[in-house]
Amino acid sequence: MTDIRKGASLPADGGAQKGIIDFATQALRQGAVDAVLIPRRVTAGDSFAYFLIRDEAFLKEASPLPPIMPVQGARVISSITGYGRSKTRIAAIMRPCEARATIELAKLSQVDLEYVTIITMDCPGVIPLSDYFEGAGEGDKLFEDASQNWSSEPMRPVCRICDMFSASGGQDIHIGTLGTRNGSIMFTANSPKGEDLLNRLGMSAEEDISGWETRVNKLIDERKKERKQNNDALRAEIEGIDKLAQAFSTCINCHNCMRVCPICYCRQCHFDSDNMKFGFEDYLTRAEARGGLRIPTDSLLFHIGRMLHMSLSCVSCGMCEDACPTDIPVSQIFTLVGDRNQEAFSYVPGRSVDETLPLTTFEEDEFQEVEQSYAAVSAGQENYNDQGIEVRQGRKR
Amino acid sequence: MTKVLKLDKGANDSLKDLLRSLLESGKVKGVVTLGRTGEDGTISYSLITNPDHLESAMPLFPLMPVNLGKQLSRLTLVEAAGEPIAVVLRPCELRALVELVKRTQGSLDNILVISSTCGGVYPLEMAVKGNIEEHLPEYWKAVQQGELAPNTRLACQACEYFVPYTADITISLLGNKAVDTEATFFLNTEKGKGTVEGIKGKFAEGELDMATIERIRGKRKAEKEKLSDQVELKNLGIDEIAKTFSRCIGCRNCSAVCPACYCHVCFFQTETSQHGPLYYETQLKKTGCINMLSDTTFYHLVRLFHVSISCTACGQCADVCPADIPLWAISLKASEAVQGAFDYLAGRNIEEGLPLTTFVPEEFAGVI
Repeated sequence: MTDIRKGASLPADGGAQKGIIDFATQALRQGAVDAVLIPRRVTAGDSFAYFLIRDEAFLKEASPLPPIMPVQGARVISSITGYGRSKTRIAAIMRPCEARATIELAKLSQVDLEYVTIITMDCPGVIPLSDYFEGAGEGDKLFEDASQNWSSEPMRPVCRICDMFSASGGQDIHIGTLGTRNGSIMFTANSPKGEDLLNRLGMSAEEDISGWETRVNKLIDERKKERKQNNDALRAEIEGIDKLAQAFSTCINCHNCMRVCPICYCRQCHFDSDNMKFGFEDYLTRAEARGGLRIPTDSLLFHIGRMLHMSLSCVSCGMCEDACPTDIPVSQIFTLVGDRNQEAFSYVPGRSVDETLPLTTFEEDEFQEVEQSYAAVSAGQENYNDQGIEVRQGRKR
Repeated sequence: MTKVLKLDKGANDSLKDLLRSLLESGKVKGVVTLGRTGEDGTISYSLITNPDHLESAMPLFPLMPVNLGKQLSRLTLVEAAGEPIAVVLRPCELRALVELVKRTQGSLDNILVISSTCGGVYPLEMAVKGNIEEHLPEYWKAVQQGELAPNTRLACQACEYFVPYTADITISLLGNKAVDTEATFFLNTEKGKGTVEGIKGKFAEGELDMATIERIRGKRKAEKEKLSDQVELKNLGIDEIAKTFSRCIGCRNCSAVCPACYCHVCFFQTETSQHGPLYYETQLKKTGCINMLSDTTFYHLVRLFHVSISCTACGQCADVCPADIPLWAISLKASEAVQGAFDYLAGRNIEEGLPLTTFVPEEFAGVI
């Protein structure tokens, strides 16, 4: 949580969502921003999408917290600013995990934040896409009922264990909605850009936010426990190559998980490239080694490779699991792996745009426990580190 | 009349025995078919080289986890099979492979193709839920009677092309009353006949019961009309198209699993298809509001343009769509119209050139 102790309160008699829309309308009307990026119901009415809105009339149908996440917001920002910044000042109203993914993409040069103000709000989660689309129109009500009480039961599995559903980093402004008093919503600025916007709208931080903070922290603690439980249980189920292969046994290698992932930005994934296309002889040889070769080939390799490439930036949004046609708990597995990898580097993806990516940052004193000791190598004991502990299986030279 | 081989077990078991004989005798070095590949009973295709592994094979299990035509194209893309292998494909998968071979995306060299008169497959989500096993008795009864098996893919219920065109060997399933007790393999080609020489079984002459086949075809046609109405395909103008695709999340999974979509980098993945800041500024000024999932309908229309000449209506696209869009119906409608205009059927004949790349001087004179 931030150190800010005061926030700007805005009345929201019509509910938090309407309050946020009113704020966005004001921002447009007063020229504090040129456009608002916010989810809105699509014309056909059966889904939601992000809309970039200049005319406030279109904000009436906006939905800051839609029941589903069809597209990760970070991808949207990347498609707007990926080819350079435009001077259009945009207020992007997104869920915390989308903001964090946006920050990671900024570090990867896929997003330009110069004219983008990121605004997040307390997020109750989203319903899985399949539940919403197969729910015969019940999805809206299901979400509304659950989110009123902050019950995460119908939400994505990783939403249920999310401890970063509030101000979690990277945002310029955060809107507190969890149990705020008197039907109002609370705005806190987390950056000079955010402060500037609130000032322009005449919103001064005068309210004590400690009540809201306490409620948020309480829920964070509960979620942290759930997360640990889920991770521990899952680890037992997938630890080791055999169990991991089993977990991905229904994978049809469609790569949908990769395509909806905000962090996976490569125009052509390594695993779709010629590097992964082998001659028939290779496949036959592999089949003969074990008597059989599952088709499609190399699906487990794809997942491990993807983990290697993006798990340090994984924000556990859950898009991958939603998009998987065979219901593999992809985001839960990547959350488990991501959490552990991120912890090893004391890294929190999206916390701050100034925090550099661990894999591209040289640190001299890092992971010394797995380094080989120079002295030991000279003494012909190349497998031992300074503490005399064996660090690697030896290979005879 | 065609030469046939009869084996005295039901279709599934006879086919397993045949595959085993081919592998054990060294006539083929590998077999590609469905089987249990996971401890939890997951059923996938695999390339089997050890005959013992055929124990867990289920060649005729009604599931298409991936389109095998597309997968075989992947396996033979860099180089053709250097050793003989036998593959068990559904008619639509086979037609897809033939289309891909025409486009130099694979090779049929050294491949012995075994197919069947196909009763359809269940949707992927039923495999995920583990529901297929309990439907098997009902499925095989429907196959025997030549009826539509309920709960199978809608694309399958509407499919008229369930008799394979280019298989070396076709196993008779649909409308075959004896499918549980005796297997009839039609040996359509010299390669097919040559490969089964020496196999223990009864050789005879036979032919597919065309009256039954036509009756089944009639049922499938009727079902297709009914299903088309259900998804309201009749009045598919631009407004209806936009509405149909309004739920699309742009994941491109339809393209990823489609055999006809073989481009290594799709146009919609290139820089050309993406928009710079000027585009957004201009659009914003014009309309005041931009749907950021841009080019959704555009993508689908372009995809239809590109694939409909080779679409075999397998239904893989609809199975993997996270937004439950009835893609199979749209692809079917587009492909029938396009292929019909050229008197072409995708994958019917490997010698038949692709209409879009074949110059015919007198064609469509009415529109020139």
